[in-house]
Amino acid sequence: MTLKKTLLASVIGAAMTTAVLPSMASAETTLRMAYDADPVSLDIHEQLSGGILQLSHMTFDPLVRWTSDLEFEPRLATAWEQVDDTTMRMTLREGVEFHSGNAFTAEDVVWTVERLKRSPDFKAIFEPIESVTAVDETTVEFKTADPYPLLLNLATYIFPLDSEFYSGTAEDGDPKDEIVKNGNSFASANLSGTGPFTVVEHQKGTRMEFDRFEGYWDEESPGNVDRIVLTPISENATRVAALLSGDVDFIAPVPPNDLDRVREDEDVQLVTMSGTRIIFFHMNQERVEAFQDPRVRQAFAYAVNQEGIADRLMKGFATPAAQFSPEGYAGHVDSLEPRYDLEKAQQLMAEAGYEDGFEISMMAPNNRYVNDAKIAQAVAAMLARINVTVDLKTLPKAQYWGEYDDRAADMMLIGWHADTEDSANFHEYLTACPDADTGAGQYNAGNYCNPALDKLVAEANLEVDLEKRAEMLQQVEQTLYDEAAVVPLHWQDLAWASASNVNIEPILNVMNFPYLGDLVIEEE
Amino acid sequence: MTTTTPQVASRWSRFRGSYLLYSFKRDLIAQLSLVVFIALVAVAVLAPWLAPMNPYDLAQIDIMSSELPPFWVDGSDPTYPMGTDAQGRDLLSTILYGARVSLIIGFGAVALQALLGVSFGLLAGYLGGRVDAFLMRLADIQLSFSTLMVAIVVGALVKAIFGGATFSAYAVPLLVLIIGLAEWPQYARTVRASVLAERSKEYVDAARVMGFTSRRIMFRHILPNTLSPIFVISTVQVANAIIAEAALSFLGLGMPETQPSLGSLIKSGFDYLQSGSWWITLIPGLMLVVLVLVINLLGDWLRDVLNPRLYKG
Repeated sequence: MTLKKTLLASVIGAAMTTAVLPSMASAETTLRMAYDADPVSLDIHEQLSGGILQLSHMTFDPLVRWTSDLEFEPRLATAWEQVDDTTMRMTLREGVEFHSGNAFTAEDVVWTVERLKRSPDFKAIFEPIESVTAVDETTVEFKTADPYPLLLNLATYIFPLDSEFYSGTAEDGDPKDEIVKNGNSFASANLSGTGPFTVVEHQKGTRMEFDRFEGYWDEESPGNVDRIVLTPISENATRVAALLSGDVDFIAPVPPNDLDRVREDEDVQLVTMSGTRIIFFHMNQERVEAFQDPRVRQAFAYAVNQEGIADRLMKGFATPAAQFSPEGYAGHVDSLEPRYDLEKAQQLMAEAGYEDGFEISMMAPNNRYVNDAKIAQAVAAMLARINVTVDLKTLPKAQYWGEYDDRAADMMLIGWHADTEDSANFHEYLTACPDADTGAGQYNAGNYCNPALDKLVAEANLEVDLEKRAEMLQQVEQTLYDEAAVVPLHWQDLAWASASNVNIEPILNVMNFPYLGDLVIEEE
Repeated sequence: MTTTTPQVASRWSRFRGSYLLYSFKRDLIAQLSLVVFIALVAVAVLAPWLAPMNPYDLAQIDIMSSELPPFWVDGSDPTYPMGTDAQGRDLLSTILYGARVSLIIGFGAVALQALLGVSFGLLAGYLGGRVDAFLMRLADIQLSFSTLMVAIVVGALVKAIFGGATFSAYAVPLLVLIIGLAEWPQYARTVRASVLAERSKEYVDAARVMGFTSRRIMFRHILPNTLSPIFVISTVQVANAIIAEAALSFLGLGMPETQPSLGSLIKSGFDYLQSGSWWITLIPGLMLVVLVLVINLLGDWLRDVLNPRLYKG
């Protein structure tokens, strides 16, 4: 009886879904996508991270953005001219509207840059900008204290916010524009930008839903996606299975051990790019006295087998690294090779007087970078060879960044992509002497500090002769390598996969900011 | 001196002539299960001497030899007959050590459950009244918390108060404690029911009239008569505890990744199940299934033997 009933019910159910689905599909095009995690907040100035920038590109528009071959493409800024060495004038697009209905003006750009300069995470990259003024409704003028060659690179990070929407006080009495890291603020739960999608619903860690913004200015965009449902799936195998079974249309990242399986499946397509994101470990000198000894840090660098990780854990889907700058960056030094040498490592530990090793704590996210938790486990095992006992804790990125800001462990894993596509950015954020006022070293969880390097990078930023500048940046990389400021692991390659009717290739880029507004889903 | 010798002999001969042994001799499944079970316990106990490497010693792990297949698959390395996991641990060694952890936790947790459950069950059943009401409500409350929830709460508390390193160091006793505490009501209820049935029998009245203390009556007179259901639950509970440990470890709440048990080994291979390296999950999975199966089969047989109402024709 019950079996019959269940059978009957499932038959009816199947009949109903087949009857209902096609009519819904013709009504609107929905993209169901799965990332390893959802954005930690709706406030795009709260955290400088890949997830937040991906959200920015969905719900906001930058002044200019990178094309896939790394050229600048006008977005909210339509034209720009260098007035003199330190002044740039930008003409803004007319007739652009925010999600709230407010009109976009030059004042919004000024307001946004001023807020960026207050953001603990962003202020360091916006440090060179001295002032922004609205010349008229559609013109803004950027002034830098000194000649600054990377102003347009910076403009890719200026996503104008709706100044009217974010002004005033929220219900709880706090100003709407306040930036609270890992906390609750008006901006972390409400959003109004000019971007192609509006946020309909955000259940943290479970589901996020976007609708296409009807008043979107870019009418030439080929994008035909009306609705996006983003589901975070942190388990690699589950995410791939969801794509292969047709539960979702688009996933990122694709874990290295599943690349072949995805490539061989005829109903899905795989897009890969060699990446520029460096994955590495900080060694906290403030928490562990031993790390103040360069020999101990070098020993750690010698003990870690980067090639083993890239080859085995990443299945060759990463380039082993011994420095921050990937090939092609100004600061890249060709001669720096991974230096795995266990005997040398043990010898250095002995020289430093730590022959018997010591105990450290280690933390790593488990849904931020490709195989992050496994990498941390492997490194913990490698450090056991130099008698270092590791207490490893891996946690989801929603919790991890809070711990990271507290510098809660002796070694912390982080990946970094240079925001300006330039070598100086690595040092400014990751190894510069920490300074809360300027935002320098905001992500320096190692507390490594070498004022001479800070000076060198500051000088490099003013150097107009690009060859000289490259030389200076290479010197920085060399010093960081010699002093073993961090333990670099690899540059992580990128991989996305989608159902074959979802044209992801044109909207992807090496920064890993998919321009979903321009995504085309073909009718099947 | 003279009286003890014949007593021992008579016990042995009593066992030889018992229905227990008689039915065991005629039950092939029970014999096979016992052989497999003893073999598994033996290899688990002897793991430190049998295993080719110590999987808990991180210094012996080499990432370069990760994900090697077992010996019957192409590309295997004779050093690692059962292959290696994603971190380069020898699977054979890890499974032996993992089985050890599973068995220690299984038996440890059941011993704790039995201790708590039997004492509470006896007290509740024999004393009755308020004590009974109180203990049984306590059992109800305990039953309403699932093992998982107790594990999450205790695990989170220990990690928050003493740090992750302490949790890793005491993972085994902690898991014994968690699983033991979460499931004692199973015993308490069964024992209480048997005690209620026994309490009104003449031998108990006789003992009472003779002036024995309650404690003596409970433990010396009633308890031996409730042992058969306790044995039967114990076998089921050992299997349950092993499964509970595996489930907790699979969810990341049990044994730390650096000291894999069968459950955490199955979890660590889960990502690779469909992408080639199936052995990381499948081999420890089979081990777990076999271990639990033989314990359950033994338990089944024991239940049939000890339950007079279930005599097989």
